[in-house]
Amino acid sequence: MSGHISPIREPLITGAKTYHQITEDICGPTERMPSRAWMITFVLAVLGLAFYIFCVTWTIWVGIGSWNLNRTIGWGWDITNFVWWVGIGHAGTLISAILLLFRQKWRTGVNRAAEAMTIFAVICAGQFPLIHMGRLWLGFFIFPYPNTRGPLWVNFNSPLLWDVFAISTYFTVSLLFWYTGLVPDFATVRDRASGIRRKVYDFLAFGWTGSAKHWQRWESLSLILAGLSTPLVLSVHTIVSFDFATSVIPGWHTTIFPPYFVAGAIFSGFAMVQTLMIITRKVLHLEDYITLEHIDSMNKVILATGTIVGVAYLTELFISWYSGYIYEQFAFYNRLMGPYWWSYVGMMSCNVLSPQIFWSKKLRQNIVVTFAMSIFVNIGMWFERFVIIASTLARDYLPSAWSYYSATWVEIGLFIGTLGLFSTCYLIFTRVAPVVAVAEIKSILKNAGDQYVGMKNAHKEHAHAEVEAKSGHDHH
Amino acid sequence: MNAFTFESKHKTFLIGAMILGLVCLVLSYFMDSEPMHVRFWSNYLHNTVFFTGIGFISMFIIAAFTTAWAGWFVGMKRVWEAMSLFLIPGLILFIPIIIGMWGHWHHLYHWADAEAVAADPILKGKASFLNKGWYTFGTLIIVGTWIYFAWKNRQISIAEDEEGEGVADNYAHHRRLRVYAAIFLPIAGFSSAAMIWQWVMSIDAHWYSTLFAWYSSASLFIAAMALTILLLVYLKNQGHFAHITSNHFHDMGKFVFAISIFWTYMWFSQYMLIWYANVGEETIYFRHRFDNYRALFFANLIMNFVLPFFILLRNDNKRKYGPLVFASVLVFIGHWVDYFLMIKPGARLTAIEAAAHHAHGHGGHDHAEHAAEVVRPVFDFAMGFNIPGLLEIGIMIGFLAGFLYFVLNQLTKASLVPQNDPYIDEALHHEVWPYPASEDGGNHHH
Repeated sequence: MSGHISPIREPLITGAKTYHQITEDICGPTERMPSRAWMITFVLAVLGLAFYIFCVTWTIWVGIGSWNLNRTIGWGWDITNFVWWVGIGHAGTLISAILLLFRQKWRTGVNRAAEAMTIFAVICAGQFPLIHMGRLWLGFFIFPYPNTRGPLWVNFNSPLLWDVFAISTYFTVSLLFWYTGLVPDFATVRDRASGIRRKVYDFLAFGWTGSAKHWQRWESLSLILAGLSTPLVLSVHTIVSFDFATSVIPGWHTTIFPPYFVAGAIFSGFAMVQTLMIITRKVLHLEDYITLEHIDSMNKVILATGTIVGVAYLTELFISWYSGYIYEQFAFYNRLMGPYWWSYVGMMSCNVLSPQIFWSKKLRQNIVVTFAMSIFVNIGMWFERFVIIASTLARDYLPSAWSYYSATWVEIGLFIGTLGLFSTCYLIFTRVAPVVAVAEIKSILKNAGDQYVGMKNAHKEHAHAEVEAKSGHDHH
Repeated sequence: MNAFTFESKHKTFLIGAMILGLVCLVLSYFMDSEPMHVRFWSNYLHNTVFFTGIGFISMFIIAAFTTAWAGWFVGMKRVWEAMSLFLIPGLILFIPIIIGMWGHWHHLYHWADAEAVAADPILKGKASFLNKGWYTFGTLIIVGTWIYFAWKNRQISIAEDEEGEGVADNYAHHRRLRVYAAIFLPIAGFSSAAMIWQWVMSIDAHWYSTLFAWYSSASLFIAAMALTILLLVYLKNQGHFAHITSNHFHDMGKFVFAISIFWTYMWFSQYMLIWYANVGEETIYFRHRFDNYRALFFANLIMNFVLPFFILLRNDNKRKYGPLVFASVLVFIGHWVDYFLMIKPGARLTAIEAAAHHAHGHGGHDHAEHAAEVVRPVFDFAMGFNIPGLLEIGIMIGFLAGFLYFVLNQLTKASLVPQNDPYIDEALHHEVWPYPASEDGGNHHH
């Protein structure tokens, strides 16, 4: 019963699952005691989080002077980390919204975790603009409202303010989207639970009964939220790129920034999804739902977006020469040959060159290689932001102001600390919610389960038909 | 009706339209208010780039869809195969421009004028890219490479019809198609940017924008998709492609809708960043178009964003011939106008400047005067520049007729529905949630 599915499509659910097995496999991890691996990782993550809190406290107590920023280089690791985390957040929305609009079935295996990742990554990103204000308690100054300070209004012309609106809207819609998807799954968990656990999940599931009306509204809401978040996901990184591109700083002011930032964000987001999914599928035994086909597809997205980013890098480089504008030319000469040349090399090799190995199907389906590549890309995308921010600022129009900058332990600690914050959130998520969307996986079982589709079944049917034809028993 | 016959009355009609286009083209050589026959040359370049670009994007569409394992489109992929082969006549159409450049017949490109380059440090700086050799061999080699892929894709696709054994040979032909499609994509990504800079962006020889190539490619994508919709509607009315239903049109409509928004995103990003930074060398591009070509400046946004956005927003409108055809005609002309606006103002400036230079002899003492002119020029209305005149419309019809003649002729050479394609069953039963798969082919208008 493969319907009209091409035999050339590989199955997306392996192990000849039944609906009940799917429920068991995916809800199981939330019902059992956590494994030792989970507990060790959780302790490490919480330690990271504690270190983060320590570094934030240090920054606030001592002041921004505890960082190595100077008058020339006013943005360093802080904004690099901010852009890096926001970028990572994009893959979740991309997978849930854009792949939903494109009707890509493989999204169902990874969308839940990717959306969770989006939310945690945006939480991490949001920390940095706040911390780097120095006086955190004045953070509410970013909100425009009639106030007793003059009134002193925010600068509506500034993309930094647009960021506030864009990211908070994005966070809200992502959260809604994620939660909407979770509602039927929480109901599934509830139906298997008892006592207080049942009460909690009943509350979380909003009294979901699974009636036809519920499903129909749920489908419509999903599509509407997908339609809303598609322009949103583009707008967020577009506005982040405006932070740089609206300036007149050579190397920052370039028109390709908006789409190039979006492509880079999808690229880094998918890399982070790979990092998380490869660990998650192993630890929670979800290899039948997050198959090698899923990993293969995501590696293709990484190859495609990595190459798009490559086109953008070379476009920038070429046009800087083509412009005939010496300051633009110098900015790029400086990126390649200046004191931060190593970060440019890191960016190019991790983001453009190394993903090219994914032309090979064997390597796309190799777990170890994929994991290593996902880390590479994460590093490369961090370098990209560092190149854009620090190496550009280090060499401004006045040679007497030129400077060099390396981070202090506090800045490094803040970055490592957000990894702890992120991991803590993600690990808790794997305990309380189904990591794979149960309802959505079930919806594709009949046209993507390995007992129904794929070349193996097609070959069997084909052989069967040939045998019948030969023995003359073909009744059709 | 899986075979297409190109009826002679249609041939006659299209040949008539081509002759009309040729007559208009010749007339535009003489009926020109601007110097250097720039109306003729810019019309020729404009349509050559536009229709060759549609051929290129058609190949890009096939490659992208094949790589993404799309199934819904294979029932109509013969149309895109035929369109992609237009790259061959496209390359031939470039030859007069190239020869004209070497023979100094035209002044489309300021950088092709050796004296101008010698007196201009910015052009001198670009000379290792903006030169006749690069333009000539870049065009020949890069378009030649595209042709190779379009040709190869076509060959394997037809071979699959005849020799493909489906499951038995593990879809060997399709797997080869995938390889070529995947290789084409990065080549297309890098090389199309280079050609767009040469053909179009370098007309405003001092100006640059890193986003330009992506912006202009998005424009071509919409034009190609709109033209496909129109062609399929026509072919359906002729009794072909019965399996193309309102579900397929729905998805093509979605592409026109989505890429129109994407195009607007590109337009806005480019405009907004240049406006905001307010660097004179960059803003001049929009300043000039806003001051002297204001009707087109706004028409571009209305035709390519506002109207298609509101028309195609509703699902129903993507499934009905009336609104879908209206929107497709609109954006097809809209993006033709978009290229008009990219090419004409710069070509006109170049011609005026070249004419002034020739008139003043070779002194170059009037630089200050020129500079003043260039900073804030005010131009008189010129037909064929400020708006497309009747001649431009005639020329466009001529090129379009040539394009269609070529494409319809290609369609006769292979079955309209590819045989043995692994996705053909999916394509024939395509449905778009929440609409059921319909068998009537979307003919709700009766």
